[in-house]
Amino acid sequence: MKRSYRGNRLRLGLAKALFLALFVVVGGRAFQLQVLQGDKLKRLGERQHLKEWIVLPKRGSVMDRAGEPLALSMEAQSVYARPHRIQDPASISQALAKILNLNLGEVKQKIASGKPFVWIKRQIGPQEAAQIQRLNDDGIGMFYEPNRYYPQGQLAGQVLGLVGRDSEGLEGLELRYNEYVRGETGSSVIERDALGRRVMVQGVEGLQMPPGGDMHLTLDTSIQHLAERELEATINRYRAKAGVVIVVEPFTGQVLALANYPSFNPNNFSKQSAQQRRNRAVTDSFEPGSTFKTILAAAALEEGAVGKDDLFYCEMGKYPYAGKIIHDTHAYGWLPFSKILQVSSNIGFTKVAEKLKKERYFKYIEKFGFGQPTGIDVPGEVPGLLRKAESWAAIDLATHAFGQGISATPMQMVMAYAAIANGGFLMRPYLVHRVVGSKGEVLLENQPQLVRRVVSEKTARLLASMLKEVTHEGGTGTMARVEGFEVAGKTGTAQKADLIHGGYAANKRVGSFVGFVPAEDPKLVALVLVDEPEVNVYGGVVAAPVFRNIVQGALRHLAVAPQKAEWVPAPVGETESPLRRPPRKDNGITAGNGSDGVPDFVGLSLREAVEKARAMRVKVKMRGNGYVVRQSPAPGGRWSEEDGLVLNLQG
Amino acid sequence: MGTGTAASQRVLRTPRRQPAGASGRPLRWRQVTAIVLLAVGLVGVALLHVWLRLQVVHMGYVLATTSKLQNQLQQENLELKLELATLTSPDRLEALSRSRLGLRSPEKGQVIILP
Repeated sequence: MKRSYRGNRLRLGLAKALFLALFVVVGGRAFQLQVLQGDKLKRLGERQHLKEWIVLPKRGSVMDRAGEPLALSMEAQSVYARPHRIQDPASISQALAKILNLNLGEVKQKIASGKPFVWIKRQIGPQEAAQIQRLNDDGIGMFYEPNRYYPQGQLAGQVLGLVGRDSEGLEGLELRYNEYVRGETGSSVIERDALGRRVMVQGVEGLQMPPGGDMHLTLDTSIQHLAERELEATINRYRAKAGVVIVVEPFTGQVLALANYPSFNPNNFSKQSAQQRRNRAVTDSFEPGSTFKTILAAAALEEGAVGKDDLFYCEMGKYPYAGKIIHDTHAYGWLPFSKILQVSSNIGFTKVAEKLKKERYFKYIEKFGFGQPTGIDVPGEVPGLLRKAESWAAIDLATHAFGQGISATPMQMVMAYAAIANGGFLMRPYLVHRVVGSKGEVLLENQPQLVRRVVSEKTARLLASMLKEVTHEGGTGTMARVEGFEVAGKTGTAQKADLIHGGYAANKRVGSFVGFVPAEDPKLVALVLVDEPEVNVYGGVVAAPVFRNIVQGALRHLAVAPQKAEWVPAPVGETESPLRRPPRKDNGITAGNGSDGVPDFVGLSLREAVEKARAMRVKVKMRGNGYVVRQSPAPGGRWSEEDGLVLNLQG
Repeated sequence: MGTGTAASQRVLRTPRRQPAGASGRPLRWRQVTAIVLLAVGLVGVALLHVWLRLQVVHMGYVLATTSKLQNQLQQENLELKLELATLTSPDRLEALSRSRLGLRSPEKGQVIILP
């Protein structure tokens, strides 16, 4: 009994010792793994199941004023190779060349280059990506990269600018508003399983990066397209070097169209020259020529130096002034001031400038915004060249009177005319209406911004009425006339400085037209500038018709009703209508002006009804197509003209 | 005195042993029950933890799949937007309407804008 107790104790002791030893071994191993090698092993483990996930920035879109997309960002895959991991370079090269439509030799060369990493093709399509995926080769991989697309191609290319491979704006609005549209880049460490699949257990918050805001422009795609089409046509026709068109809303300064030629397509910017990328409307300044006479006219009228009907002697075309001779294209004798503007007499304007004096003239040149940037929201704007009045030589007063010896950007010129159109207010032009964030919050909003009042409303109105004469018979801008509207504007044909020999180049001219329409209640101000046309150089010939075509289309697009009462649409040839005209009941009511009852439209065709409504200045709402079958209120009833009529048509 | 002492000793010893013998058994049962309950509780908590962890991983997979799908759909949506914008660009529409439909710019009088 005593022995077995001892034996038990011994066995118990041995077991205790064994377990203790085991615990010591396990504890020691744990200490070794957790403490001594802990950091290293932890790193090794994390490398296997944790992965840094990079969130590419989601760049916002660019849209025109109607929401039509002009620039969109999408992630496209780029294919790379790690040549040393490729088992069978020959067959892989062949497959890659076939799928990606590449030169086989080039692909082979890349894979045989011995570099650890080579790009095979960047920004491929989704179908190509799926085929590459099926190759399932260790040495070939794909990587998502953001890519910018401009669905309208070259439309407003220079205004939009471009974006680099790293999703950073490099030029134009893309650069100017980069911080708003870029979107945030993020990264987060997330877990992956044995098969390499993402398991979003930790670090999910880090992947929620805010995308960039959407930029809504003031541009109108239709007017922009019209401007680019007409500009290109005239440049080809007159074999010109370059051209600019700007269309602006005079009361707000919103830019509706800004076209440059040569055109630029940001989709493949690397293949295009810096010349094409230039937004000449703001980066280039030109001697404005006769279009600048309007500025002198505004100054002289505002200061009371001259009146509309003051007479000036135009020296029959030759006027010696400050040791030089000033010429007019046509010889004129006595002309009233308004006529001087209409025929664009250099001599007449020299005399007006003499009356105004250079200090007062210079004050208005500055007030109209020349010599300083307009503040438009695109990069690269230049202030133009304006010399201080104190440094003007005697002849400079005359040259400034007809727009020489000073340089201005097309944007400055169009805004100066907008100031005359809107009753004397110089506005800041802008292209971006607002930037809206991903949750609909407004990140930035540009409002019409008044720079200063330049002239009184009375002067602006008077000048507008004088500028109307320019497009009337006898003026230089008759080709700018638009059917049904009064156009106020001014032509310009400026000589170009000869940068090599000094002075002015013999054959180089800049033809331009700036104006606004309708003259009494301006909706649009537009400038057309054609640089170095060869076939004909006069602004009234090369630029004025472009102005007419653009403005005519734009007014129609904006549904501005013709204002001239005498303008009647020409009859259009009646085509055989397959529709049956319902019998027109003669109810004895004579519809027309002066009748108190509701005019009768029943039985009229759509065109007849529209013409009748227009002639009677009756507001109508049309429903359906064909012939009027019912109208509300019914013919002959009591009615006030403000309420309008609803016509139901059926064909 | 001797027996008395022995008797008293026995008497004294008996009540000392009795509580150990009589109430010792139920006390041990209670302890075992408590230990077992504690162990079961601990195992339960551990299992719950494992189950939760599995749920988190499962949800992680679901989230990853859904987010991948969301990205794909967004990408597809953008592709369609791009295609629509390209197909309806004024340049293309004008070329098509002129060439395929034989349309042209309206002549004087063909457009009447109502006051």
